[in-house]
Amino acid sequence: MSTALPGRVLAVEGLSKTFPGTRALVDVSLHVRRGEVHALLGGNGSGKSTLIKVLAGVHRGDPGGTIDVAGETVASDAVTPAWASRAGLRFVHQDLGLFDALSVAENVFAGRPYPRRRGRIDWRRTRRQAAEVLGRLETDVAPERPLAGLRPAERTLVAIARALHCGEGEERSVLVLDEPTAPLPGHEVDVLLEAVRRLADAGEAIVYVSHRLDEVLSVSDRVTVLRDGHRVAERPVAGLDEATLVGDIVGASLDRVYPEMPPPRLGEPVLSVRGLRGGPVRDVSFDLAPGEVLGIGGLVGSGRTTLLELLFGARPRDGGEVRVEGRAATLGSPRDGMRAGLAYVPEDRARDSAFLDLGIPENMSAADPARYWRGGRFRHRREREDARADAEALDIRAPSLAAPLLQLSGGNQQKVVLDRWLRRRTRVLLLDEPTQGVDIASRAEIYQQVRRAVADGAAAILVSSDFEELAHVSDRVLVLAGGRVVAEREGDVTRDWVTRQAYEGQGDRR
Amino acid sequence: MTTIGERASDMIEARVTEPAAAKRATGPSRSSALLGLAERYALVAFLGVLLIVFAVLPATSETFLTAANLRNVAANESVIAVAALAAMVPLLAGQFDVSIGAVLGMAQIAVASAMAHGVPLTGAIAIALACALVVGAVNGWLVAYLGVNSFIITLATATLVGGLVSLYTHDQVILQGVSQHLVDFGSGNLLGVPRVTWLVALVALLVAYGLGWTLQGRRLVSVGSNARAARLVGMPVNRIMLASFVVAALLAGIAGVLQVARTGTGNPQIGNAYTLAALSAAFLGASTIRPGRFNVPGTIIGVAFVAFSVNGLTLAGAADWVDPVFTGTALGVAVALSTVLGRRRGAQRVI
Repeated sequence: MSTALPGRVLAVEGLSKTFPGTRALVDVSLHVRRGEVHALLGGNGSGKSTLIKVLAGVHRGDPGGTIDVAGETVASDAVTPAWASRAGLRFVHQDLGLFDALSVAENVFAGRPYPRRRGRIDWRRTRRQAAEVLGRLETDVAPERPLAGLRPAERTLVAIARALHCGEGEERSVLVLDEPTAPLPGHEVDVLLEAVRRLADAGEAIVYVSHRLDEVLSVSDRVTVLRDGHRVAERPVAGLDEATLVGDIVGASLDRVYPEMPPPRLGEPVLSVRGLRGGPVRDVSFDLAPGEVLGIGGLVGSGRTTLLELLFGARPRDGGEVRVEGRAATLGSPRDGMRAGLAYVPEDRARDSAFLDLGIPENMSAADPARYWRGGRFRHRREREDARADAEALDIRAPSLAAPLLQLSGGNQQKVVLDRWLRRRTRVLLLDEPTQGVDIASRAEIYQQVRRAVADGAAAILVSSDFEELAHVSDRVLVLAGGRVVAEREGDVTRDWVTRQAYEGQGDRR
Repeated sequence: MTTIGERASDMIEARVTEPAAAKRATGPSRSSALLGLAERYALVAFLGVLLIVFAVLPATSETFLTAANLRNVAANESVIAVAALAAMVPLLAGQFDVSIGAVLGMAQIAVASAMAHGVPLTGAIAIALACALVVGAVNGWLVAYLGVNSFIITLATATLVGGLVSLYTHDQVILQGVSQHLVDFGSGNLLGVPRVTWLVALVALLVAYGLGWTLQGRRLVSVGSNARAARLVGMPVNRIMLASFVVAALLAGIAGVLQVARTGTGNPQIGNAYTLAALSAAFLGASTIRPGRFNVPGTIIGVAFVAFSVNGLTLAGAADWVDPVFTGTALGVAVALSTVLGRRRGAQRVI
């Protein structure tokens, strides 16, 4: 039925997807024409990524809908990765999946048969074909260059070239770009956007998933907005402004009423940050009052994680001043941060915080093993006793105290990691996505412990992509965009408010 | 609040302090505990079996379990034992040091040559250890601060040191001038046990203490477990890594001095062969006592295992090829096993 419309190459009709407990997509439709860039927008949890995953065959849709690619229709519960690939759907994910050690040409051909001559790889033809695909993107990246030396935008172009190359010779391919500009620095974004525009002008159909409204407005022809699993709008971009889009994404009419600055709390700030710069963080200033939990919201790439790293000393700062309880802190290393009274629970537990093959006592004392180093020997027994007491207090479940941390659930691992900082005299607790991969019960326990930790005049900064959680747990929320604080609100914070500020704030990113 | 606390403590009691209850709840049965025990003492048991076999085997029963033979093995293996302890330290930090043998050879030449030039024994030992320390510091600095791959860079320093030794000695064995005190120490017994074995015991205790009972040891193990996490809890990761190479080189230096004590000469041909023997013993050791992790008793057992099996086979008149085939097979099996066990425990692979 959808094939009747000329130029339409991708048509999703009546697509629903139910996960146990939630309906991620409800009767969603999406129509993409040949030669257009079609933006797909939506806040966290809107169903955007679910839609992409159904298209890719990663998730199976509920029965009842259809997906049509260039006239080939399939039931929504019958999409497989093989079908998606055959039908001409090409995906470039945020993690580009490139090989640093290989050349550009080899990356373009990765996973595809190389041209051969007499049984051997025909390198000349390989390079020529790679150059042809890259040429369509009008980039002058030489095919023989090692990938490792490429600029971020060029890397993305290589990933796109690979996706295009897969569909070469097929007139019906649809290119899905998932947040392609998220890892790019501002000046690189234009390079990519131009290439995307040119591809569309040359007849390619492109689904462009992004958080960046300015990009969406500048590069796309039409836009589909999802909210809470529903398609809430499909609009042509011509004549559209950011305010309308934010309205679509958040769902309420737009009121640009900025709240008054909250009244200053009593007492000297525990943490005082002025003009902090480094990496994607451009200029951040704020004060943290005793007993306060400050939430930090923002989209991917807004500088949230970097801000915590800068404060802890895990990343060198380019400028700015940080004071802890009035004293200027030199933050050249995590040691400096700890000495100043800061504690950092990083986002990626396995990579950055857990000693997975060591036991609970070792993990709990990791931030201060010296306390057990008394009189020329390490007091293992006292360490175990303390660990047992803390495990009880935090309701940590483990096969045994000595069991390697690997054997604990994510929530229990996180409680162990948190405990190592609660033991110290911590003034400011920096938490990066502390409840990621953590079960509900542990989540509650973690927040209870954070509250308890700040009760004596310490403070905490909480970074979370779950804006709902952010709104509930924090006393005050700052929203970051493009490395700056773009909004602040104390009390009465809602998920929608954070989402709106995060989108609106990114306007002047470049 | 108290009720939650009490409930929590009840659960912990059940989970943490009573393994039996925990087992019931989480699944693993008694057999898995037995399996753990078997893992832990497999190499020890195997060593015991080996001793019994050689003690009763007609070809070896007369000589194998004699005091003279045991003393001989213990004394001969002292050098490898100390070298294996040396190799273990960087391995615990997740790094390879394949210059152990070369440093051992260099220290040997340094101590012998210094004595040949009239330097007194203590001075000569100091010179040898200082040379070793320099190489260890260079290795450690390159690995820790420049981030060079430890296997490759220590291969480079090993080659370089070997070349310098050759240049210095013109490949001539240093036969003269070795202090008689040192030679006496190398061949004498104390309380019926070779003096060098006492020294090995002392070194092993010191290393075990350093790794297991000091703050620095804990830090070393943490760095080996997860260097990024160690940095983010404020540990001086680079310094710890550098120190592990310095300690390894110092121990290799001691092993070199022991070698001179045993042979009474400084032989420029000796060196690199010890690297493989030392690493083998350390890896064998990681398969026992604390499976999946390098540990001192395990390493010593690893050395003893290889030593006694080779000794028994030699006494039995086995052909030359039997010994390397046996040792190679044992190492292969043990390392494969300990890798699998280590992975199950969440250890990162060494390379």
